[in-house]
Amino acid sequence: MSSRISISRGTNEKPVSSEALTEFFSQYQGCSGQFMTGYPIIGTAEGRHPIDALLVSPEKGIVVFDLVEGPDPGDFGSRQDDSANKLEARLKTYRELMKRRNLLITIHTVSFAPGIANIRRFPDDYTLTNEATLADILDALDWENKDEHVYRTALSAIQSISTIRRSRSKRSVLKANSRGDKLKRLEDSIATLDNRQSKAVIETVKGVQRIRGLAGSGKTIVLALKAAYLHIQHPDWRIAITFNTRSLKGQFRNLINNFSVEQAGEEPDWTQVRIVNAWGAPGGSDRSGIYYEFCRAHDLQYFDLRSARMAFAQGREFAGACDNALSQMQKQKSLYDAILVDEAQDFPPVFLRLCYEMLNDEKRLVFAYDELQNLSGESLPAPEEIFGRMADGTPRVHFEAPHGTDARQDIILEKCYRNSRPVLTTAHALGFGIYRKPVKKGNGLVQMFEHAHLWKEIGYELVEGELKDGQSVVLRRTEDTSPLFLEDHSPIDDLIQFHQFENEQEQADWLVEQIERNLEEDELLHDDIVVINPDPLTTRSQVGKIRRRLLDMGINSHLAGVDTDPDIFFRSGFSSVTFTGIYRAKGNEAGMVYILNAHDCDSAGRNLARIRNRLFTAITRSKAWVRVLGIGEGMKHLTKEFQTLKQKGFELRFRYPTQAERNQLMLIHRDMTSADRKRVESGKQNLARLFEDLESGRVYMEDLDPDLLDKLRQLLLQQG
Amino acid sequence: MSTPELLLKQINALIGYLVERSLAHDQNYVFQRQLSATSVEVTFPQADRFSIALKNRAYPEVYDVLAAERAYVAKLPDGALIQMQYLFDRGELERHRLAFFPSPHLEEFQNNPDVYLEDDIYADVVARNIVPFPIRFDFDCRHFVWKELEHPKSHLSLGQYQNCRIPVSAPISPACFIDFILRNFYSTAFNQYTDSLPKSPWCFNDSILLLEQSVLHIKIPTI
Repeated sequence: MSSRISISRGTNEKPVSSEALTEFFSQYQGCSGQFMTGYPIIGTAEGRHPIDALLVSPEKGIVVFDLVEGPDPGDFGSRQDDSANKLEARLKTYRELMKRRNLLITIHTVSFAPGIANIRRFPDDYTLTNEATLADILDALDWENKDEHVYRTALSAIQSISTIRRSRSKRSVLKANSRGDKLKRLEDSIATLDNRQSKAVIETVKGVQRIRGLAGSGKTIVLALKAAYLHIQHPDWRIAITFNTRSLKGQFRNLINNFSVEQAGEEPDWTQVRIVNAWGAPGGSDRSGIYYEFCRAHDLQYFDLRSARMAFAQGREFAGACDNALSQMQKQKSLYDAILVDEAQDFPPVFLRLCYEMLNDEKRLVFAYDELQNLSGESLPAPEEIFGRMADGTPRVHFEAPHGTDARQDIILEKCYRNSRPVLTTAHALGFGIYRKPVKKGNGLVQMFEHAHLWKEIGYELVEGELKDGQSVVLRRTEDTSPLFLEDHSPIDDLIQFHQFENEQEQADWLVEQIERNLEEDELLHDDIVVINPDPLTTRSQVGKIRRRLLDMGINSHLAGVDTDPDIFFRSGFSSVTFTGIYRAKGNEAGMVYILNAHDCDSAGRNLARIRNRLFTAITRSKAWVRVLGIGEGMKHLTKEFQTLKQKGFELRFRYPTQAERNQLMLIHRDMTSADRKRVESGKQNLARLFEDLESGRVYMEDLDPDLLDKLRQLLLQQG
Repeated sequence: MSTPELLLKQINALIGYLVERSLAHDQNYVFQRQLSATSVEVTFPQADRFSIALKNRAYPEVYDVLAAERAYVAKLPDGALIQMQYLFDRGELERHRLAFFPSPHLEEFQNNPDVYLEDDIYADVVARNIVPFPIRFDFDCRHFVWKELEHPKSHLSLGQYQNCRIPVSAPISPACFIDFILRNFYSTAFNQYTDSLPKSPWCFNDSILLLEQSVLHIKIPTI
């Protein structure tokens, strides 16, 4: 029988005894509750005070464990007093846990020393135990006035690892129920981390750890706090946190700093925990990057963007550079104890491999990613493939199949705190092309998860059918994974709207008028508004006229560029509406999101997966409202897809494609370089011309190479 | 003949143009203010907070402060900052300060337009050692400031060289300055950003002196 205790395995300086105690609780039947190692950490006047391990139980109250690694327990009595006092001091700040001046939950202390066989040698006024006697000692512990509510409150007080979330400029709201007011309430509701997120922060494994989650599930926060947590517990470790979107840098810094101050009472040592770019360039620590450091440490040729463009294929610059570095590496040098990678879907897989090679033997690599937000159309392969194989052919990294909620290596954050259910479901429906009408016959789907169970993992529930190849399914998001408070502030028709226009002028007129209204009547701030143009190549030409009109009306705006630091706009209290292309939209979130020229996302085939992913990313930037704007036929199709979804009550109804169909999808919508595209186009034209010539008798069958004709005949027959 | 009002109008038209062509990624509203009973200034927010504090500092540091404080009229795609300030006394132009601060961290637009036009995510991965330097057109006709040849009323300064003051024939209008910047640093084979640039219908009177014309100097266009 498995234990009724759920376990969070953090990290501390006492791995052997932690492991033994964790093993004990995975079997122990004497009570229920939560057991954690390496947490909480209590900031005190004398600095950080980590608690080795802790059990919170509705039957027994709190048991603080003092862990002893070797044969010498030292002055365990005073350590127990110290930990209990500090924890008590912290819990006493919660009014709900107090009655007059007394704490409502009992705190017991136990020293656990698996390395000491004969514990009777030591004085017995404080509890010292090993594996043999622990069960008896726990059984005897009691919480006299046990109370379920107090238990829950204490647990959440201990687990609430941070109250931080980026607080922006203070809003002054005058009208009840204005958009500004609604946004303020939304922001207050998502102030703290939930249990799953907290657990994800603390869970520490040796080796590679993957954190998957939807846009808005808190991946970035979890990753930042994880870096801070590891740094607090292991101040001597060299830790790097890296990312693709420069604009995240300030956010990471704030999160790590606040967490350190809050938990350990001290600022992080920025020489040990480093926030670095992925690629990087010479010119000081601010410009440095993982790849650059790798090249420098191994004495390899370094490529910057320009030289990589010349050396490698377009679109594969970074992959080429990383590949080159790995293949030239002579003797591996470890530069870090832990590396955390955000937005891993945007990196070539070989970059993760490069990170892996830079780590010491423990190989603590944590990467967070979101399959659908991949803007390049290439998805990350399985870890077995990314990290390569050993000499005997076994993969260097292998994820064990997750059992229950105990998945530690492969954590999924299924709850989305940014987008409401209708908005998120729309993003998925359009991203996958669930209700897309195919141009020719067949399926309208654009892409599909290889593994059907992923739908459940990202927070959908099965309403009807079976999640199996070739089967019809109906999926919807649950209240649990898409909290109701995200959507019940506004009617669905206001949460998300599609608007089709005749021409660019009309689209611009409407947008400008809406922005003005948002600022003047709706009490939105300038930074509550983001305007996204999904096609990177047209962003400049498309947004110029609109920004000019706003400028002339006295509404300032900026176009997010290579060196745009969103923090500047918040810090200086300067009011400016953000316009952005899709690449720089990442890392931005806003109450009101306008998507311009969405019709670009309805091309007839080429690169469709990539293009639809852009639309997905754009929609999921919204904390509250989305307006999808576009022109002409393409927009009509998208609008229709959305309306179908709405009619179906924001449920996804489709037949799960079979393996063969999925392969077909990948083929049709694969990413092509411009050379590939030219080849396909000229092939099509040549064939059309040949057919015409044959039909009109300008060319005879007999003129053509009979062998080739035979082969062509065979090929056509095979295709059916 | 120019007035603060006309200058303000011209600068606004130029900023509008830069925004419309997506050459200005960020910009500030320029405004006019009365400094004393007789003097009026056309300037931008944060203009005068940094000029003294940043003297004798390394250029990258100067640039970073200006960028972080948004002390500019416009910021261009490659991070370059443009500043423009004019000061009138008793209806006459007394001073101006027109400056171009290229980014010390990024590649110049002209040689790498694709990186910016296609919004490449890795545009900041630059290894080359760029030697960017500020360019300033200053004008000052207060009698205790200028000195024939040594300190021409209107002059061009390159980099942070203390005594680099290349004589210029007259004060420079905003349109003339922006044309100079775009023509020399932002024109590519495919984009002539200066084609439809709003033109200045007037220019300032010559201020250059005879001795200054005897050395290499810059002539402001008069047509």
